[in-house]
Amino acid sequence: MSVTEGRLTRADLLKLGGAGALGLTLAGPAFGRPISQEATTMTMLTWSDHYANNQLAAVAKATGLRGRPTLFSDNADAYLKIKQTGSQFDVVSADGLWVPKYVKSGLTEPFDLSDLPVSKQLFSLARQFSFWKSGSNYMAYPFSWSTVQIYYNPKYVKTKPDSWQAILDKKYAGKISLENIPTDVMAIAGRATGAKKPYAMTSAQISRAKQWLKELKPNVLKLASQNNEVVRALADESAWIGITNLGTDDRVKDARGPVVKAAYPKEGTIGFIDSESIVKRSKHKDVWMKYINALEQAPWIAKNFITNGRPLFNEKAYKLLVNQGHGARARRLLYNKPELALKMTIKGPAGNQQAYIDAFNEVFGA
Amino acid sequence: MVEQQVATPPHALPPADVSAGRRGSRLSGLTQYAGFIPALLLYGLFFLAPFGLIVAYSFWQTIDYEVVHKWTVDNYRYFFSVPTYVRTMWATLWVSFAATAITLLMAFPLAYWLVRYVRKSLQGFFLVLVVVPFWTSYLLRVYAWLNILGEGGAINRFLQWTGVTEHPVSFFLYDRPAVILVLVYLYFPFAALTLYASLQKFDWNQYKAALDLGAPPRMALLRIVLPQMKAGMVTAVIFVFIPILGEYLTPQLVGGAKGVMIGNLVVNFFSGAQYTRGAAVSLLIAGLIVFLLLIVRKSLEVEDPYRA
Amino acid sequence: MRDVGVVSRHAGLARLSFSVWAVLIYLFLFAPIAVLVAFSFNANEYGTFPFTGWTMDWYRQVFADYQIKDALYTSLKVALEVTVISTVVGTAAAFPLVRSNLPFRSGIRIGMTLPIMIPGLLIGVSLLILMTSVFHFQLSPQTAVIGQAVYTTPFVVLLVAARLQGFDPALERAASDLGANTLNRLRHVVLPLIMPAILAGALFAFTLSLDEFIITLFLIGGHNTLPIYIYTQVKFGITPEVNALASLLLFASLLLLVIAFTLPIALRKMRFAYRARRA
Repeated sequence: MSVTEGRLTRADLLKLGGAGALGLTLAGPAFGRPISQEATTMTMLTWSDHYANNQLAAVAKATGLRGRPTLFSDNADAYLKIKQTGSQFDVVSADGLWVPKYVKSGLTEPFDLSDLPVSKQLFSLARQFSFWKSGSNYMAYPFSWSTVQIYYNPKYVKTKPDSWQAILDKKYAGKISLENIPTDVMAIAGRATGAKKPYAMTSAQISRAKQWLKELKPNVLKLASQNNEVVRALADESAWIGITNLGTDDRVKDARGPVVKAAYPKEGTIGFIDSESIVKRSKHKDVWMKYINALEQAPWIAKNFITNGRPLFNEKAYKLLVNQGHGARARRLLYNKPELALKMTIKGPAGNQQAYIDAFNEVFGA
Repeated sequence: MVEQQVATPPHALPPADVSAGRRGSRLSGLTQYAGFIPALLLYGLFFLAPFGLIVAYSFWQTIDYEVVHKWTVDNYRYFFSVPTYVRTMWATLWVSFAATAITLLMAFPLAYWLVRYVRKSLQGFFLVLVVVPFWTSYLLRVYAWLNILGEGGAINRFLQWTGVTEHPVSFFLYDRPAVILVLVYLYFPFAALTLYASLQKFDWNQYKAALDLGAPPRMALLRIVLPQMKAGMVTAVIFVFIPILGEYLTPQLVGGAKGVMIGNLVVNFFSGAQYTRGAAVSLLIAGLIVFLLLIVRKSLEVEDPYRA
Repeated sequence: MRDVGVVSRHAGLARLSFSVWAVLIYLFLFAPIAVLVAFSFNANEYGTFPFTGWTMDWYRQVFADYQIKDALYTSLKVALEVTVISTVVGTAAAFPLVRSNLPFRSGIRIGMTLPIMIPGLLIGVSLLILMTSVFHFQLSPQTAVIGQAVYTTPFVVLLVAARLQGFDPALERAASDLGANTLNRLRHVVLPLIMPAILAGALFAFTLSLDEFIITLFLIGGHNTLPIYIYTQVKFGITPEVNALASLLLFASLLLLVIAFTLPIALRKMRFAYRARRA
């Protein structure tokens, strides 16, 4: 009898353990409830330069809305992800002409800008982009803009590479870093090979662009998933040439890297105007305004400029930067001239999106 | 009655034989397989079914990001028609082969050292020491190498500090050698453990006998020890080569533009919603794996440890 | 075995070279991890050389970061569910594997190790297709749980089956002689005695789940587990905070595994002490 008692204890251990684990699992959601009553999680599908960790923490503390970012590179990937995942994401960042595509496909929805007090801090022209207007509503909240150009390290690159053809030089084998955005890389290749409309290329133009890419490939060190990887590559000198946004020279200097200079290719280039949008099937649409309102306040935008170098659309932040002594830097990077953004070839979906992606993949293998 | 039970001498009890047990120490008929039911459910639904789906998808089409159930071999034809993809496939095989060879070459002396020169009581300790790094997150182990490789990283700083090089050398990062290096690091414990287990079983008296008969140690090693290690080496090769075929994270983090492997292509297709193409490439990989396993299954046939 | 050395010449040289090789190998195995941990104390915020000073700041940041807490919570929840599933399924499957009259036993055994051998990538993508295109489920931690369970269950099976195989059938026969039916035999004799192996399997599955990355990446949707968070940070920009987090994760995994494998021994000692006291 006593032995059975002993044995029972161990069998009971199993039962207890199993019950405990099962109970914890089922109670898991309950576990989270006290926290989630005060804090909702806003999932963002975005780029790494749209936020900072301390910014998210501060916003969470102030509003109880905790941002949870998932990163992506190419708008095409984000578009597909939103299409496939329903209500998983609340905020999605998008470039230029992708925004209307999202709306047209019923993936995001426009809103009244005046519902966002922080929108008053924007440059007025940012609130009136024709391609983002939807009746009296606006499709997205404007964030930042930049051209995509060539940055080079003069220590190793003796002649200024002011054309896309110049960077094909065999001297630069394995020394170029650029972002892994197939659609836009193809557009650049289109520019390099003379296509008038880089985002609406014909098959022949796509072929030519692909050929240019093939020649570029041996020179590519790495296809970076976010632009700060390009900055790092330039900073530690593993790359001599970077194809990336405005302000990279400052960022490389901040990362204790060498002096790099900008070169604007004479064939022309592309640029982006990016934004934050409401995902239509999000479950937190009611607090989207509150969240973005806190996220986009001028002090954070000013900090974002210092970290990421390219201009943004928040005018109040520009004034803050001037007060902080960064006025010269801001003006050098065209922060006070948002009208220039409209002169760029703005990023958007390609006419034949699949053909662009295929061409890119067929060159780079993956 | 009591006498009857007590009088049964111990040696008359049937030998320890579970599978042929009487008196219901095993269940009879189909109920003995009852334990398999949860596993069958889990793997039927979530392992076999997805696999079947992959097979089907690889023969269907994607039109406008939607999968259409029209049969075609176009996905395969497309894959083989792109020279870059085919080159990536060969590159993957080459990298797997190189990494496996290097891993085994490195692991064998270690296993030999353990069996031959280390006290039996300490062997377990040193073995665990080999495995310990392996029991940390795979991602972390790759990330650890990112710290070391790279122009700003340890190797380059060291080389520059000692004056061996002036500029950072990018050989150590973002190319195939870096991928192979990290893969060797990741799969080394697999090989070491398997080779150790195999060497352990070897009867060293044969080696001694060969030496007694006048053979030099190296010849004894080559002609006596190695042939009997064949099974162990094949197992080690399988455990290293096959997972490397499907590698994607290591090439992505340390491979750069030149270190692309076929796993990256699969991920690319699936992220781009080209499910049918991704399925075709996945099936190619899986097919290769099954093919390899079939070839070596004779060597893998160890005596069934679960048979009584 | 070591007396073989007496017979051959150059024995000392051979022994030395092998020992040197062993030292190099162990250095090779541990150096990257040592560097990773060392950098977590590096005051240099770029997380590379040079070492500008020692600090615990990064660890402090880790504990204050709500994104990390969020990822930790998800990691633990997923790991718990995966552990329950794979322990139950794995233990149940171990019984017929060892005890039944199975045809093609070695084939089935290889089949059971297939989920471990197949690259995690393939498991991830195939389940992705199943979940999104066939079942139209939303990707969530629950789908990740399923994917991880497919991967961890064979480990539990192997561990429990190994213990079961060494199980003395005389004990069960004795119990049945005393009138116990199958259920009671299972409950009072078998399970308690193989409990250490089951616990080891459970802890093992738990650790595997915490560290699992590839399958989870495909199936978890917008959520983060710790490895996925680390992956995001690695792409975002490496600060030593990631190193601190990585070091903590490392330490936790090792601790869990130490427990997993010393627990059976500890339990056995406890049982003997208990029985001795009762006797």
